[in-house]
Amino acid sequence: MISCVKKRREPHHEDYTATISCGYGSRRRRGSHRRAQPVLAGLCTGLQHAGLRGRRHGDGLVDPSSHTVAPQITAEGFLFGRLTRCPMTPANPGEILPDLAVSWSQIDAHTLEYKLRAGVTFHDGQPFTARDVKATYEYASDPSRPASAWYPGRVDVEVVDDLTVRLSTKAHGYPALNFWYVSSFLPILCADDVANPEKLKQRPNGTGPFKYVSTTGDQINFQAFDGYHGGKPAIENLVWAYVPDANTRVLGLLNGQYHLTERLEPEQYVSLSKEAGIKTDRSLSSENKYLHFRCNKPPFDDVRVRLAAFHSIDRDQVLAIVGEAGQASNCHLSPVKFGFTDVEGYPEYNPEKAQALLAEAGYPNGQGLPEIEYITSVGFYPKTREYGELISAMLQEQGFPVKLTTLEPAAWEEQLYRRADGQGPGHIVDVGWLTGSPEPDLVLRPNYHSSFALINGINDAEIDASLDKERNALTQEERLKVLQSETLPLIAAKAPSISLFSSVFLRAMSSKLDGVTFFPNGPVDLSKATLS
Amino acid sequence: MAFAIEFFVRRLSQGLLIVLLVAFVIFTLLRIAPGDPIRIILGPMATATAMEETARELGLRDPIPVQFGRFIVQVASGDFGHSFIRGKQGGASGGSQDGAPDLSQRAPVMDLILTALPYTLILASLGLIFAFLIAIPIGLAAGLNAGRWQQKLGLYISSFFVSLPNIWVGVVLIYLLSAKSGLLPAIGYRGIAYAIIPAIVVAIEMSPVLIRAIAVSIAANVQEGYFNVGQVRGIPRNKMIYRHVVRNAAVPLLNVFSAQMIGMLLGGLFVVEYIFSFPGIGLLTINAVFQRDFPIIQAVAILASAVLVLINILVDFASTTIDRRLKF
Repeated sequence: MISCVKKRREPHHEDYTATISCGYGSRRRRGSHRRAQPVLAGLCTGLQHAGLRGRRHGDGLVDPSSHTVAPQITAEGFLFGRLTRCPMTPANPGEILPDLAVSWSQIDAHTLEYKLRAGVTFHDGQPFTARDVKATYEYASDPSRPASAWYPGRVDVEVVDDLTVRLSTKAHGYPALNFWYVSSFLPILCADDVANPEKLKQRPNGTGPFKYVSTTGDQINFQAFDGYHGGKPAIENLVWAYVPDANTRVLGLLNGQYHLTERLEPEQYVSLSKEAGIKTDRSLSSENKYLHFRCNKPPFDDVRVRLAAFHSIDRDQVLAIVGEAGQASNCHLSPVKFGFTDVEGYPEYNPEKAQALLAEAGYPNGQGLPEIEYITSVGFYPKTREYGELISAMLQEQGFPVKLTTLEPAAWEEQLYRRADGQGPGHIVDVGWLTGSPEPDLVLRPNYHSSFALINGINDAEIDASLDKERNALTQEERLKVLQSETLPLIAAKAPSISLFSSVFLRAMSSKLDGVTFFPNGPVDLSKATLS
Repeated sequence: MAFAIEFFVRRLSQGLLIVLLVAFVIFTLLRIAPGDPIRIILGPMATATAMEETARELGLRDPIPVQFGRFIVQVASGDFGHSFIRGKQGGASGGSQDGAPDLSQRAPVMDLILTALPYTLILASLGLIFAFLIAIPIGLAAGLNAGRWQQKLGLYISSFFVSLPNIWVGVVLIYLLSAKSGLLPAIGYRGIAYAIIPAIVVAIEMSPVLIRAIAVSIAANVQEGYFNVGQVRGIPRNKMIYRHVVRNAAVPLLNVFSAQMIGMLLGGLFVVEYIFSFPGIGLLTINAVFQRDFPIIQAVAILASAVLVLINILVDFASTTIDRRLKF
């Protein structure tokens, strides 16, 4: 949730706050000198890393390379600039816009060149130059950094002049194009901070529209940055507060304490869309919701059983339950990701085919199948319990002896990933994967390449080869072709997971709040927002 | 005096044992229940190796009795440890995978509790005041008018209140009194006005027990022989009520207050603070449960059980002081 502050008429509000909430709520700052200054506050219910939403929030804003947590990434969106920015729209998923770089080009297979924006300063007043880009890229792509999983590998940065850098991947043996989209996601740090880890730990120092002020309990306070290269934001103060209960966030929006709330439940969205003084926003996210099969143990080590399960699930019925929070898609990538295509032959609901595959795998009518545990969460994604019950029933109808296990988020998260022995609990796991750039490998490699396969444990040489092929393509056109004609159809055919639907993020805000831009992975651009 | 010393020594030693048992049960349940704090501390993508290393460094892979012994020694020295998740400013800082967290850089649990405690005390006090304002007139009227409409009214009101889930009441009151009418603020805390609606919810939850206890206790005393004898001897009815009936009814009421009300209050506050995002100990604890922040949960459990035990001891002592025939 985020909010801005402004004079209010309500008896209990003497001064102003504009609020945005996504599980984050806002709180006004006290003191007469603060009055009539817009404040934005946010609150986050979920935590996410390389694709997974999460529930963390707070002080982890200092070093973006130290974590993969979604709410912190969202908060960092206020603080840090990137070389480029990607709006990630379904109409043009690959669109790239300038941010700290004003132009970019591919020099050769292993070199990208970026021309940097002049006159940009960090929040501490230091000028932004090419050496900051070099320090950031070489630091963040170091495999020892926890968030290095976001990046395709190590990269060397040549400082051509103060406002020109060249990224080189030659020494590391992969095409530089792998950074084409990732550059819209990597927060640029100050070189002096990178050189001094103690300084880096003390406070976040970026070039973004807001600067960090303080953390007070469950809220983070930001202030508009006078020196922002895009012009000082009209919203002076921003409060990002954690409000764990979804109903509380909605009520806080209704009573005017918050100005924007995110991660609404579908029915809340429908209800709020009828409220006077409130406007709603609905946009496709970069997240797909998946059912991952544990592919490294029976019975889902057999592709026929996986496909049989795939054909047993009527995704239209699932979408009917998810309502406004989902959109049909036949692809393991979200429509806002580079490479998305409506995969031809994507497995559809077909009970006859499911039965045939089960019989072929030696489980006619499901006879002989072990008990199958389907693990899902409640209170993390919309409607998981409800559609989990539906899917369980559909699988049982085809003879899968499914037991649905519904866990609260912390317990579910513990069950989610494969463990040191390579195995994970249960047989089917519900999860979403949310990433911050159009780069498809942020989804595909962690989930489907055998060197990672974090959840499903798939180990398939054909999938590995296809993923390596698209990664090593030398042009975007070639890569797009490989992805759409080979990699994504192959993943659908091998079915290490079912992509159920693409998530739609539902938000509501005060009708007085204008000019807000939402990114499909959660961050909110308030640099041009106003609160009337 | 000797009685008081003997009473407190005996009851405090019993109470200490109860607190230790509660602490051990909570401590053990936290560690055997699903949900690993290391996943929260390090973030979702942490490797199994990093998780194991961090867990070992934090002592979470030692046998539970060893961990508990270490914890109790620490608590005995007045140190409830540091939060796994919250930084010194109180914000959550989980998800960093830069090695095992330096817990000395995380918030001391006692600081977090002391920061949240005043808010909880405000809410509890206001809730109790509202509950008494509701319950005393209704309970007295019901008790003094057994078999008449006042008694039925007390019964109906109690039954109505007790059947209202506090989550539902909270949401409805926020909607009506804050979102729709704008009469009161509701979420978070920026002044005493923010405590009014949550306190009403607390009061609605607590008043049925109070109404029933007052009504029953008063009615029982009114039916005692001394009540009529006193009036026959010329003592006005109101004087009999306020000087004798209320005093005699106080002992069972005190017991109800300690045995039920405080327990209900603690439980109710957790839910109410969560609904209202009220920054007290309840919200701190519920967030700690979601985040598997063991040190906070353990400290709150110990302190809550200690408070309950102490209040029970004090109430028992007060009861024996009022009526020396009672032995606790």
